[in-house]
Amino acid sequence: MIHMRYLQLLKLASPEAVVVLTALVVLSIGLLAKRATFACAFVAGLGLVCAIVAVLLLPDDETLFGGMLVISPLTSLFKITCLALAFFTVLLTGGEKVPRHPGEYLALILLATVGLMLLVGSEELLMIFIGLELLGLSLYVMTAFDKTDVRSAEAGLKYFLFGSTASAFTLFGISLLYGMTGTTGLAAIATRLATTSIQPLLAVAIVMTLVGFAFKIAAAPFHLWAPDAYQGAPVPSAAFIASGSKVASFVVLGKIVLIGFAPAQGSAGWHSMAAGWSPVLAALAALSIVIGNLVALAQSNVRRLLAYSAVAHAGYTLIGFVAGTREGFSAALFYTTIYAVTLIGAFAVVGVVRRETGGDDFSNFSGLASRSPALAGSMAVFMLSLAGIPPLAGFFGKFYLFSTALQAGTNQALLWLVALGLVGSFVSLYYYLLVLKAIFVDVPSLSGAESMRHAPSDFLQCATVTVLAAVVVLLGVIPNVLASRILGAVP
Amino acid sequence: MNPGILSNLWLLPAVPFAAAVVILSLPKSRRKIASGLAIASQVIVLGISIAAFVPTLRTPGFRAVQNFTWFTFGEQTLQLGFVLDPLAAAMLLMISLVGLCIFVFSVGYMADDVNFTRFFAYMSFFSGAMLGVAIANSLLLFFMFWELVGLASYLLIGFWIDRPSAAAAAKKAFITTRIGDMGFFLGMLWLYHGSGTLVFYNDGRGCLEGAGLALLGGSATFIALLIFCGAVGKSGQFPLHVWLPDAMEGPTPVSALIHAATMVAAGVFLVARVYPLFSLGATNGVTSSLTVVVWIGVTTALMAALIAIAQSDIKRILAYSTVSQLGLMMVSLGVGGVAAGIMHLLAHGFFKALLFLGSGSVIHGCHHEQDIRKMGGLRRLMPVTFATYAIGMLALSGVPLFFSGGWSKEEILHATAHWSPSRAPYYLMLAGVVLTALYMTRQMIYVFFGNRRSAAEHAHESPRVMTMPLIVLAIGTVFLSVVLTPAWPWMDDYLTGESAHFSIAELIQPMLFISLVLVGVGIAVGIWLYRKAGEQDRDRAAEVDPLEYAQPAVFRFLANKMWIDELYARTIIAFAWASARLSDWMDRYFWDGLVRGFGAIGQLFGVFTTDMDERCINAGVDETTVGARGLGRLLSGAHSGQIQMYLGVVAVGMLALLLLYAWLA
Repeated sequence: MIHMRYLQLLKLASPEAVVVLTALVVLSIGLLAKRATFACAFVAGLGLVCAIVAVLLLPDDETLFGGMLVISPLTSLFKITCLALAFFTVLLTGGEKVPRHPGEYLALILLATVGLMLLVGSEELLMIFIGLELLGLSLYVMTAFDKTDVRSAEAGLKYFLFGSTASAFTLFGISLLYGMTGTTGLAAIATRLATTSIQPLLAVAIVMTLVGFAFKIAAAPFHLWAPDAYQGAPVPSAAFIASGSKVASFVVLGKIVLIGFAPAQGSAGWHSMAAGWSPVLAALAALSIVIGNLVALAQSNVRRLLAYSAVAHAGYTLIGFVAGTREGFSAALFYTTIYAVTLIGAFAVVGVVRRETGGDDFSNFSGLASRSPALAGSMAVFMLSLAGIPPLAGFFGKFYLFSTALQAGTNQALLWLVALGLVGSFVSLYYYLLVLKAIFVDVPSLSGAESMRHAPSDFLQCATVTVLAAVVVLLGVIPNVLASRILGAVP
Repeated sequence: MNPGILSNLWLLPAVPFAAAVVILSLPKSRRKIASGLAIASQVIVLGISIAAFVPTLRTPGFRAVQNFTWFTFGEQTLQLGFVLDPLAAAMLLMISLVGLCIFVFSVGYMADDVNFTRFFAYMSFFSGAMLGVAIANSLLLFFMFWELVGLASYLLIGFWIDRPSAAAAAKKAFITTRIGDMGFFLGMLWLYHGSGTLVFYNDGRGCLEGAGLALLGGSATFIALLIFCGAVGKSGQFPLHVWLPDAMEGPTPVSALIHAATMVAAGVFLVARVYPLFSLGATNGVTSSLTVVVWIGVTTALMAALIAIAQSDIKRILAYSTVSQLGLMMVSLGVGGVAAGIMHLLAHGFFKALLFLGSGSVIHGCHHEQDIRKMGGLRRLMPVTFATYAIGMLALSGVPLFFSGGWSKEEILHATAHWSPSRAPYYLMLAGVVLTALYMTRQMIYVFFGNRRSAAEHAHESPRVMTMPLIVLAIGTVFLSVVLTPAWPWMDDYLTGESAHFSIAELIQPMLFISLVLVGVGIAVGIWLYRKAGEQDRDRAAEVDPLEYAQPAVFRFLANKMWIDELYARTIIAFAWASARLSDWMDRYFWDGLVRGFGAIGQLFGVFTTDMDERCINAGVDETTVGARGLGRLLSGAHSGQIQMYLGVVAVGMLALLLLYAWLA
């Protein structure tokens, strides 16, 4: 019987509580005030900052209710990361054409953020599932939020159906695990699994559990929702799906496989394949890298392109998990954090371009360099970082990731996966440069130039984008600021 | 110990950098603010340099370091840091003091230039980078600042971008020094490989300290020589000296700051800084790497002095003289006289900056004429310039007692004379002393004595803002002669970390008389040769030089800089061109075809997969729906069909993963 310590619970869950309260306040402001856009965004941003402060005030190590709520340097670091990403998403909403219900929209972002924090801060499968659902349901609605756009609704519905199916698989997997081990705490599962040997059932349980996360991180072949969602959803929603949701999913996926499934790791080495989650993830990674990069080559819409590139990047990140070491985990987390920052920035640029030219195809980006040098320069930073060009953060992330993968195992067993990743990132340079070509080289067509509304770029948006670009450059020059922190926090 | 100053050392590069950034963002018309900011930043760094100098003076053998981690790769950490020791402190003081004089001088010299603000931004940028070189405690940080210095030099040499010759000179300087830098970089990699660290001093764990050096063993010779390549490039040593005379295309204050006082001395400073690498395993003070340094230095010193005799551009003469003097410093380091070499570096920084600024003043007065054969008689028209220039000339010629160059040169000769492998460098150095006196006398006579020729007709003395720095530098030159007197060798001991004692006997040595006689001979020969030439009324640009009259072939050989540029053009550059053409051809017809082929395959596959992913799946489902339910229900059912397909993929994917798992198990 768990002895309830409510006061302590309130203290340890204070960041989540702050965000929930903020969500409620934002919701009421949206209902009561008439022109609430600014007020809502301001309160939401303020609430997120308060939550970051609350995280900073948490104790170093604490575990409640058998792992339902875990406070550790790792969870605190990534709670802050998620809150910061949510903060930038809120900044993005500031520039969107006024949604009809700003309060509801921002409240959904905040609730999704709570989902992220629960995911990050839990080592217990039921709680993780609740976080997953809270996050998922908020994101489905956020995707379908633009009621003036049919594609938004379509994307939302597809995302919802796909997501609920994946969740069903995961839930089934979790229930099988519970059946086999009699517990839902990750550490306890690991100790039970070490002694059980019901192999076929374990295989079903592991694969099913992983499906839900493969869906969340958009790993092939569970990625089919991503292009529609990235393209159809309102820009801030897409940015949030691509950044915050991914980071949290990777953190929790890493915890599940590395802590919960530790006894069933198997091996993904070229000559030493052995059954376990490691070869399953390796297969997902390989397929994602191939499909993501190749399909991205043929895209002409920037958001769709980012979606397929996201599939590829999920593949790269999984390599870190396949390595199975502490360094591998930390490299994967470093990589996904950098990726999230970069993508929020890229989506911010897409948002501005979309407002100014009414679309987000390559043709809408042509001539951006002369219209807005700051945005164009920042976009160049984001694209080159995604492609892994030094000295940007993406380069260091990839370098760290691939080098730890090479060190893992004996005899460079993961060389095949790293080689695939290298070839993939080589191919990816082509489509990232296509975007930059549109921005810096192509001359805008006449009709496009006329349809341009010549709205002066919002200062706040430009500043946000520039700050994010600066972060990407800085993390490339002094990666140690973040990398050593993550490495130190990983148990 | 003075931790306060140590933790503030980073300001030295940071303040001028910040000034450069601010100035660059100013509009062109804010000239006063720009020059004011630049000069203020120099005053600040001068203050910091003095503050840094004091503790090193108080404690003999003072050395304090501050290291920090840049980033970590698994087990490896890359550290950077700053060091404060007598070598760094003396360098800092020289750079910031000479720099300040040159900045002030530039206000007058560049007064008419449109890009006045840009000039000061670049100068501040340079100054920051150079100060960074002086305090770097890691070869990597050293290299970074070193490259920034190179970049600043490139920008400043090519400052007058509308002149093709300036652009070409900038390019030449950059590329030539890069050749040396490549050696430097390789040496750095090797050093890291060998000792596992690039930090110079780190409580016994640095690469210049006992444990680090012990790890290197025999490879130290090669590492030292590779690093020396960088010094050869930057300090204009043979065979990479060709860029330095061309670099005179830049504005004269640039020549004074970069190509006389500071940047070119960085190579000498580098050798002095990593001296433990050079001297590792020395027997009787001789190692093979140091021997290479000596011979390169001797060759450079003598060759440049010879070429200088046959030049007619006032700045080029000084440029070759700089090359020659740097060779002298290298010799000094090579034979073991580190302190003497650095002292000469410091003294040279002052008097060569003085000479360059003086030549700038002459050029300014003669309406941008640089040919000495067209000047003459400026003694009366520009008295201040003349007096200060004469002090500089006497210091450079090596007249002892009152002029700083004399004592340090004396020390170098002294050290060279005792070099055990050979006496040849000593005798060649003595020949260099005569030549130096000769070409400087020639220049003095042509510029300041005799009758006025075409360019000197309307010459005028320069404004106060330009003459004041000349006077300050001249005072510095004379003052240094007192400070550097061998009677009280505190500077020597300050650099080597011992305590000084006064001895008048040191002052009078037989060698002093030898060099005095040689300097006298040089000056006398110069006067005898050029006295008549100086009295000519007309332009002598078209007439023959007295030496040319005597030995036309030799003179032409020297006047054309020993044909070294032409030799490079025929060999190295021609080879580079040929291989570039070959690579171009390969690129166009071979690699390009290959890449295009691969690209086409990739694209094809991409299109194919897209078709699979989007058209086949979507359209396939659509078609099925058409077949199964008919056209009427297609429109409403299209979306649900897609989703079913998506979900089907989920199921299939999961099954495939399960099969994989089962197959492996």
